[in-house]
Amino acid sequence: MKRRKFLQTTSLSIPFLLNGFRLGAMPMSSLFSSLNVDNDRVLVLINLIGGNDGLNMVIPLDQYDKLANARGNILLPQNQLLNLGFDNALHPTMAGLKGLFDNGKMTVVQSVGYPNQNRSHFRSSDIWSTGSPAAEVWTSGWLGRYLDQEYPGYPTGYPNSEYPDPFAITIGSLVSETCQGTVTNFSLAINDPFNLNPLADPVSEPVPDTPYGDELSFLRTSIAQTNLYSESIELAANAGANVVNYPEDSTLGRALKNVALMISGGLQTKVYVVSIGGFDTHANQVDPDDSTVGNHANLLAQLSQAVSAFQLDLQAQGLDERVLCMTFSEFGRRIRSNESYGTDHGDAAPLMLFGSCVAPGFLGDNPEIPDDPEVQEALPMQYDFRNVYGSVLQDWFQISEENVRQILYAGYQHLPIIQGCETVSSASETGAPVEISAVPNPFVNQLRVSFACGNERVRLSVYNSIGHEMAVAFDKKLSAGEHQTTIDAHNWPAGHYYLHLQLEKGRQKTQMLVKSR
Amino acid sequence: MVRNYRTRSLRAWTLKQLIEEDTSIRETMTLFWHNHYVTGNINDPVFEYRYINLLRENATGNFRELTKKITIDPAMLRYLNGNQNVVAAPNENYARELLELFTIGKGPLVGPGDYTNYTEQDVIQIARVLTGWRDRGYNSSNPDQPVDVEFRYNQHDKLPKLLSPRFDNAIINDMADQEYAYLIDLIFTKDECARFISRKLYRWFVYYVIDDYVEQNVIEPLAQIIVDNDYEIKPALDALLRSEHFFDSLSIGPMIKNPLDFMISALRNTNFSLAQFNLDQEYTILWNIFRLNSEGMQMIYFNPPSVAGWKAYYQEPAFYRTWINSATLGVRQNYTARIVNNGYAGAGGVAKLDVLSFVASLDDPFDPNSVIAEFASILFPQPISQAQKDALKGVLIPGLPDFEWTVEYSDYVNNPGDPNLAAAVEDKLRNLLTAMLSMPEFYLS
Repeated sequence: MKRRKFLQTTSLSIPFLLNGFRLGAMPMSSLFSSLNVDNDRVLVLINLIGGNDGLNMVIPLDQYDKLANARGNILLPQNQLLNLGFDNALHPTMAGLKGLFDNGKMTVVQSVGYPNQNRSHFRSSDIWSTGSPAAEVWTSGWLGRYLDQEYPGYPTGYPNSEYPDPFAITIGSLVSETCQGTVTNFSLAINDPFNLNPLADPVSEPVPDTPYGDELSFLRTSIAQTNLYSESIELAANAGANVVNYPEDSTLGRALKNVALMISGGLQTKVYVVSIGGFDTHANQVDPDDSTVGNHANLLAQLSQAVSAFQLDLQAQGLDERVLCMTFSEFGRRIRSNESYGTDHGDAAPLMLFGSCVAPGFLGDNPEIPDDPEVQEALPMQYDFRNVYGSVLQDWFQISEENVRQILYAGYQHLPIIQGCETVSSASETGAPVEISAVPNPFVNQLRVSFACGNERVRLSVYNSIGHEMAVAFDKKLSAGEHQTTIDAHNWPAGHYYLHLQLEKGRQKTQMLVKSR
Repeated sequence: MVRNYRTRSLRAWTLKQLIEEDTSIRETMTLFWHNHYVTGNINDPVFEYRYINLLRENATGNFRELTKKITIDPAMLRYLNGNQNVVAAPNENYARELLELFTIGKGPLVGPGDYTNYTEQDVIQIARVLTGWRDRGYNSSNPDQPVDVEFRYNQHDKLPKLLSPRFDNAIINDMADQEYAYLIDLIFTKDECARFISRKLYRWFVYYVIDDYVEQNVIEPLAQIIVDNDYEIKPALDALLRSEHFFDSLSIGPMIKNPLDFMISALRNTNFSLAQFNLDQEYTILWNIFRLNSEGMQMIYFNPPSVAGWKAYYQEPAFYRTWINSATLGVRQNYTARIVNNGYAGAGGVAKLDVLSFVASLDDPFDPNSVIAEFASILFPQPISQAQKDALKGVLIPGLPDFEWTVEYSDYVNNPGDPNLAAAVEDKLRNLLTAMLSMPEFYLS
């Protein structure tokens, strides 16, 4: 009998025996350091590749009639939706996630995006991977920069006795750009943790200082590290266990199963990235005859089944408080469906977090669907994705707010998405109502805006219906009290716009209409 | 069933074209265009064949004219939803990629929906220009019927289309089935198209870093040649591949081979031959090589991962390095070990390197130093060090003085009928070549 078979059959006792650590393989120094210096928390990113149609996944019930008007040919029947409360429901195929939500293991952050949404897959994936502003090209990933700060000099000198395990793992054959550091990518790509054959180790020789030398040196390092890390991964895979059944016919299911196995086996990897493609549903997002089935339904079913199995597996092994799971996708899709039973590239979409340490429920307001959305129109951003990333770094990996600002952006604002499990939440948006008045609305040229704030940083800006930031009225600290300003829309085309007020303690978004002149 | 068989033979045949290409660059350029005008997941060999043949026939032809042809290619109409682009419901998928990826490229975002070279308005208007086309004629019960395209005038948007100031506010009036060609002529009046394709050619043939020096001294002149030659690609290729820059020693060997190049380079210049096999064996073997390696190495012909093509040619900062990671390295090493040792089987035939004929083709196969040096000069882009040569000699003749190789090899040459002598020499050579093909130097070209 193979060792891992034996462990699977007796797996319930493993957490007590091994306490999540690979005792035999890990030197004591590492054991202590991992208790003192690093936390043992794990982040699992689930990349929904292609641009997920959020409106077909988390359905705002108070907008159902307007959705029926804008996307009638793909609309899910209301009586089949899985009601979550809070005026929201999940796609009918997502029973597993409804279970997580009902048990307080899931958070939905509404309408996550970024200013000046770029609707190109590649550019927007880059933006989500790097955490850059829309107009800047950055070449390192947001997690790569975090890991660079924590483990300077990598890859030189790694792995070592203190850090024998890879810092990040991508399940698949391509490393994730989120983990691209300034020197190299922190993540190792793995398909099957039980099948990592050693590579022939190259003879180490100095390389010339030329592009040829650079690439040769990259190849040699990759080979050497693959071999060193393979050993610790195989050890963990053999020591680990899965105690629930995963959907075997799903790539995502198999990927998360292996992630759980490696966590269970004591691998000290901090970041895992898994992905599921196919969300670019321009055509046949739903079957013409039945909107509850079709390509998008299959993807959401896979996501729901795989994530719920993963969470149950971790809970059964007592590992759930160490793991946070988060989805991301390069953009949401348009409000209007097209004639091909699909949807085209859009802007913001809901982002989901799973785990036993999330602040459960919904963050943010339901998107507002206009009565007659333009063809190009998509959901305006409510939360900047970098604030989600930053809150994960701050609360989950316990990075100081100052460092978070360095890694992401100076305007970072904390969001309450993680709670319990000894997270150190600092100043946090309270969700207190923010009053804003904008008159007249609709308007032709000028809009008068007034609002009140404390002594705090304020950002007041206007977005058009394709997510472009048209104007920034304030982005600075204001004194406490009432403030007024005028938005000048002289040169703007007629259409829907969104006024976005972000305070430290809350935010407000107002739709406004510029009439044609 | 028929479709499955055709799918396999098309892939096997494509691999054969790559293996048997000698000094021509037709196949390399066919793959270049496949990576440029991407289609994927077409899952229909009839469409795939028409598509790839279009690229092959125009491999070193005219960029602008090829863009016209690909715009109404049936596979492309399917892949980017052009076949669903009708006046009542324009689908802008193709229009967007036509600008962003196929012709002029996307510049920095400098205003609302303004990507320097074109705007969101252009995407919408160009989608309208392209309304009315669809693929036609495929019938699953009659797969031999060739696929074609058709233009349905009643599905075409006949109102004028107004482009943005980026295209000089051009107005395109109804020209029915000639409107797309007019549009593409109009896009190509912008020299930016020549710069865009020059950068892609550079990254395909030379290196991924395009700094100011390369931009001024290579890209700009290359683009000028393309413009001067009315978008004919051949003069630019001639200039690039004969340029001093191309042969500059710094430019030799910095490309991490893409998986196809990697697979093929182990078969070319190594006396590999499929001549001994019948057609069934040949195609089954090639299909097996394709099937067992493409996905693992992350390059599947006819299935690029996205409409932008393979990441190695656009993804900053890693570029070619995206081919290499702990998962793909293992597949690469398995492939080279297998092609040298066990071989790939199919329909009763087994194909592997003929190491005895390979070594016999060298200038001096009797001297082990010469064997290693000559193999190295064939397999690696730059010389290897003495320490590496010594290590390789340790693989060829472990713990033995040089003359022992000379003795053993001479014995074999003088007794060609003795299978034991042949096997002894062959084993040593297989060890040596397994080691050499697993060296990172072999991954570069």
